Amino acid sequence: MSAVFRAAAGGLGGRRLQAIIIGLVVLAATAASTLALGMLADAHSPFDRAFAQQNGAHVAVTVNTSVASAAQVANAAHVKGVTSVAGPFETDSVNAKVEPPGVTGGSITTQLNLVGRSSPGGPVDDLTLQQGHWAAGDDQAVISATGNAPSQLGTTITVGSQTMTVVGVADSVTSTADVWVLPAEMAAIAGQGGSGQAQLLYRFASSATGSDISADIGEVDAALPSGAVLSHVSYLSVRQSEQSSIAPWVPFIVAFGVIALAISVLIVVNVVGGAVVAGTTRIGVLKSIGFTPAQVVACYVLLVAVPAVAGAVAGLVVGNLLAVPLYRQNAQVYQVGVLGVPFWVDVVVPLAVIALTVLAAAGPASRAGSMSAVQAIATGRAPRPRHGFFVQRILAKLTSVPRPVTLGFAAPAARPGRTLVTLVAVLFGAAAVTFGVGLATSLNRVYNDISPAARLPVRVVPPPPAAPAPSPGGGSVHITVGPHFHGLGALTAAQQHTIGSAIAATPGTQHYLTQAADNLSLPGLGSSNAGAQITAYSGGDPAWSGLVLISGGWYSQSPAVRDIDVNTLFLTDTNTSVGDTYTLINGTHKVTAKIVGEVFDPGNDVSIYTSQATLTAIDPTVTGPASFAVSLRPGVSADNYAAALQNALGTSYFVGTGGGGQALIAIITLVTMLTLLIIVIAGLGVLNTVALQIREKAHDIGIFKTLGMTPRQTLSMVVCSVGITGLVAGIVAVPVGILLHHNVLPAMASAANSGIPQSVMSVYSAPEMVLLGLAGLVIAIAGALAPASWAAGSSTATALRTE
Amino acid sequence: MTTFATMDALVQLENVVKRYDGPRAAIDGVSVRIDPGGAVAIMGPSGSGKSTLLNLIAGMDRPTSGSVRVGDERVDMLSEAGAARFRRRQVGMIFQFFNLLDDMTVIDNVLLPAQLGGAKAREARRRADELLGTLRISHRRDAYPARLSGGERQRVAIARALINSPSLLLADEPTGAVDSATGDEIGALLLGLNAAGQTLILVTHSPELAHRYARRVVHIADGRVASDTAVTLP
Repeated sequence: MSAVFRAAAGGLGGRRLQAIIIGLVVLAATAASTLALGMLADAHSPFDRAFAQQNGAHVAVTVNTSVASAAQVANAAHVKGVTSVAGPFETDSVNAKVEPPGVTGGSITTQLNLVGRSSPGGPVDDLTLQQGHWAAGDDQAVISATGNAPSQLGTTITVGSQTMTVVGVADSVTSTADVWVLPAEMAAIAGQGGSGQAQLLYRFASSATGSDISADIGEVDAALPSGAVLSHVSYLSVRQSEQSSIAPWVPFIVAFGVIALAISVLIVVNVVGGAVVAGTTRIGVLKSIGFTPAQVVACYVLLVAVPAVAGAVAGLVVGNLLAVPLYRQNAQVYQVGVLGVPFWVDVVVPLAVIALTVLAAAGPASRAGSMSAVQAIATGRAPRPRHGFFVQRILAKLTSVPRPVTLGFAAPAARPGRTLVTLVAVLFGAAAVTFGVGLATSLNRVYNDISPAARLPVRVVPPPPAAPAPSPGGGSVHITVGPHFHGLGALTAAQQHTIGSAIAATPGTQHYLTQAADNLSLPGLGSSNAGAQITAYSGGDPAWSGLVLISGGWYSQSPAVRDIDVNTLFLTDTNTSVGDTYTLINGTHKVTAKIVGEVFDPGNDVSIYTSQATLTAIDPTVTGPASFAVSLRPGVSADNYAAALQNALGTSYFVGTGGGGQALIAIITLVTMLTLLIIVIAGLGVLNTVALQIREKAHDIGIFKTLGMTPRQTLSMVVCSVGITGLVAGIVAVPVGILLHHNVLPAMASAANSGIPQSVMSVYSAPEMVLLGLAGLVIAIAGALAPASWAAGSSTATALRTE
Repeated sequence: MTTFATMDALVQLENVVKRYDGPRAAIDGVSVRIDPGGAVAIMGPSGSGKSTLLNLIAGMDRPTSGSVRVGDERVDMLSEAGAARFRRRQVGMIFQFFNLLDDMTVIDNVLLPAQLGGAKAREARRRADELLGTLRISHRRDAYPARLSGGERQRVAIARALINSPSLLLADEPTGAVDSATGDEIGALLLGLNAAGQTLILVTHSPELAHRYARRVVHIADGRVASDTAVTLP
C-alpha cells in the first residue's frame, strides 16, 4: 500500500497545476452546491428554518397587567407543557410619527407595536439583529425589518414627548413587535402606571397542530385571572400567512438551485475524468513496474481525492460565507428575517462531492488499469484518435481567416465529449443569464403594473383628523402609507375643483383620476380574510390608473352601467370568467354587475375596480371620491412634483408620494446574485476545459511558438478554441432561458393567485435576444482568459520539452 | 574576455551565461561567432549545454547574462512577441523527433509558419509545393505525419523550417531518430542547403555527422567552449 501512496504523492508533486484545478473546481462545486441545496431546502420551509433558528414563539400572549398581578404573570410562565418562556415584556400600541433620515419634513404617522426588551437574545424569540446594534440608551430604538414602518437606521420615532433614533434593525420571525426599546424607555412612553400590557412569549413541547396550540393556550388562560389575556398569536397563523407570501418566489429559487447543482456535477465529472485520462501514460508506466489494476485505481483515486478533499473543505467554508449575503437577500424576499445553510447540507454536500470525484476518477482509472502496460503507454503517447483531423484540414483552407483563429476553431472537434460537457456548462450559465434578465425585467414590470407608488406616484388627500397639522407655510411632502385611504370622507365638489385645477396647472402632470376606496366583506369570496378591496377611479379613463388588464376591457364610467373589473383571485373564488355577471351583496344592497375585465393584481386579496356610481350602489356610505391620484410624465421627480403641488394647494391638503420598491430591489438583487453565481461556475467549467486542453497540447503550443506564434496569437488561438462552443451554447441558451422564464413566471403568478398579462411575459426584444445570445461567448472567453494567458506567457523551450 | 567584431557575423554570442535552478551554469561564459553561409556543428555529451545554446540562439530561452545577436537583432533583448517574430523571419528549426503536428497534413504543417507570419496564401502555397518537390515528398502532401516514415517526417520538418526562407537553420540532432541510411540522406540534404548558402548550426553528439556535414566544430563541455576547430571537408 505504501507504494500506492508514494506513487500518488509523486503524481501530485508532478501535477501541481492539475491538483490546483481539481481543488478549485471541487471548491466551486461544493460552494455552489452548498448554496443551491441550502436554498432549495430553505425554499421548502423557510419559515420553519427561521423559526427554528430564532427559537420562535409558538404563542405570543398579551396580558392585561391591571387584571393580573406580577405574581400571577410570573406563575403563567410555568404552566404545563412550557419548554421555555421569555418575558414579561411591557408592550403598548401607540400612534407614532416616523421620520426617515434624509427626507426633510417627510414623516409618517402610523400605529406601532412597541415592546420593551433589554436585549435581542433569549430562550424564545431570539431576535436576529440585521443592522446596527441593540438600544443602549433611552433615546434609542430597534426597528423591525418587517414591521409597520421603514426599517432604516437613523429614522426618528416620536411617541408623545419621547423621541428615539433607530440604531438597529432586527427581525422576529413571528413579528412580535414593530419597535423594541429598553424597558426604561417603555416605562417613560407608557407614563405613570405603565401601559397595562405585557407580552409573554412561549415555546411548548406540543405545538405541531392547531389543537396542540389551543390546548397550550388553554393552560395559559387557566393560569391567569379571567380577562387577563388580551390576545394570543399562534405561530401557525403567522406561518400560514408567511408561506402564502413565500410561495410565489419558490419556483425561481428552485430553478436557479437546480441549475447550480447540475452544472457543479457536470464540471466535477469533466475535470476529474479529464485528469485521469491525461495520466494514461503514467498508468502504463506504473503497470510496467508491477502495479496491479486495483493499485492503479487506488493510486488515481488518491491522486484526485487529496485535492478534492481540500477543495471540498474550502468550498464548504466559502459556501457558508457566501450564504451570508445571499441568504440575507433570500430572507428579505421571503420576509422571514433569517435563513442559514441547514446542517445536513453542510455534511451531505462535501461528502457527495468527494464521492462524485472518487467515482469520476475510478471509472477511467479502472479502464486504463485494465489495459496492458504497453497498451496504456501507447494510448497515452500515441496521437489522439483522428477526431477533428477533418475539421482541422477544412479550416486550414480558410486562408482569409488568421491561422491562430482557425487553429482554435478546430480544437473542439479533437475532444467531442469534453466539448459537449463544456457546451452544456456554458449553456446552463447563459440560460441563467437569459432567465435572470427576463425575470428581473418581468418583476420590474410587475412592480410597475401593481405598485401604486409606480403607477400613480402622487396622491392628494385632505388631512385626516388624527394626523398632525401640516407645518405653516406648506411646502412639506408627507409620505402617505398604503395604497388606500379608508375612512376618509368624500371630497366636496369645491375641493375636487380646487385640487383638479391645481394638478392641471402643475407642470409634469400626465393624467389624474379621482379615487374612492372601500373594503367590504362580500359573501362568496372565501379566500380573502381581509375582505374585498373595491376601488373606483373616476374623472378619466380607468386605464390611466396604470393597472394592466390580463383580458377584457375597462368598466364604463356611465352611472347607469354596472361594470366591474376584477383580479384573478376574484374569478377563481367565484368561479366566473370575464363576460359573466356577478351579484355583489353588501347587507341589503345588491348590485348585479358584468365582469368586463381581468386585472393583473396578484396577492391574497380580492380586488374589484368599478365606477363611482357602482361603488356607491354597493356601499351608499361611499358617496364620492376621497382622493386624487396623479401619474407623472416620464422623468418628472415625484418628490419635486409633490412639493410644487403642495405649495399650490397650501396647508388644507396633503400631497403624498409613494415609497416602497425595497422588496423589488431585494428580489432583483437575489436574481442578480444567483445569476452571477451560475456564471462564475460556468466560467470555471470553461477554465477547466481550457486548462486540460492546454495541458494536453502543451507540446503543440511549444511547436507553434517555435514556428513563430506570438503570445497574442497564442492567446487568440486558445480563446477561439472555446469561442465557437460558447457562441453555440449562448445561441441555444436563449430559447432555453426563455422557455424557463415562460414556465417559471406563470408558476410564480399562480402561486400569487394571479394570471399574468402578456406585457409581463413578453420581455425579450429582438436586440436583447441577440445580446443574450452572446452571453455564452462572453462566459467562454472570460473562463478561457486565465489559462490562455498562461499558455501565451509560457516559455517556448519549456513548452517544447513537455510531453 | 574575447570581443568579436560585429561586421559580417550572422550569429554572435558574447560571454553568454545561462543558469537554471541548480548551482552549476548550463552555459558558462560562451562566446561564439558564426559567419553567414557557415555550417557549424555544436558537439558535446548529454547535459553539456548544446541544446540550451541552440535555444538561446533561437530566442526560445533568455541568457542569464551576456548577449546573443543574430543579424541585426539582439535576441536576448527581445520580448516574447519580438522573439516569435524573429524566429518566424530569421530561424528555421529542425528537431530530433520532428515536432510535426499530428492533426495536420504535410502541406498544412509546412504552411503553418508562413500563415502565422501573414504571408499571402498563394505565394506560401507555391513556396511549400516547391520545397516539397525539392525534398521529394510532394506525393505525401496530403498525408498525416503518423503515416510517414522517419525520413519523410524529417524532410517535412526541413520543408517547414525553410518555408519563410530563414537566414539561419538550426538542427537539433536531426538524424537522431532515423536509421543510418535515412540519416545519411538527411545529412546530404542539409549539406546541399548549406552549399546553396544556407547558414546551418547543427547540434549533435555524433563526431562522424559533425565532421561529415559541418565545416567547423564547436565542442561544449560543462557549459563552456572546450574547443572550436575548422573541419576540412572530404
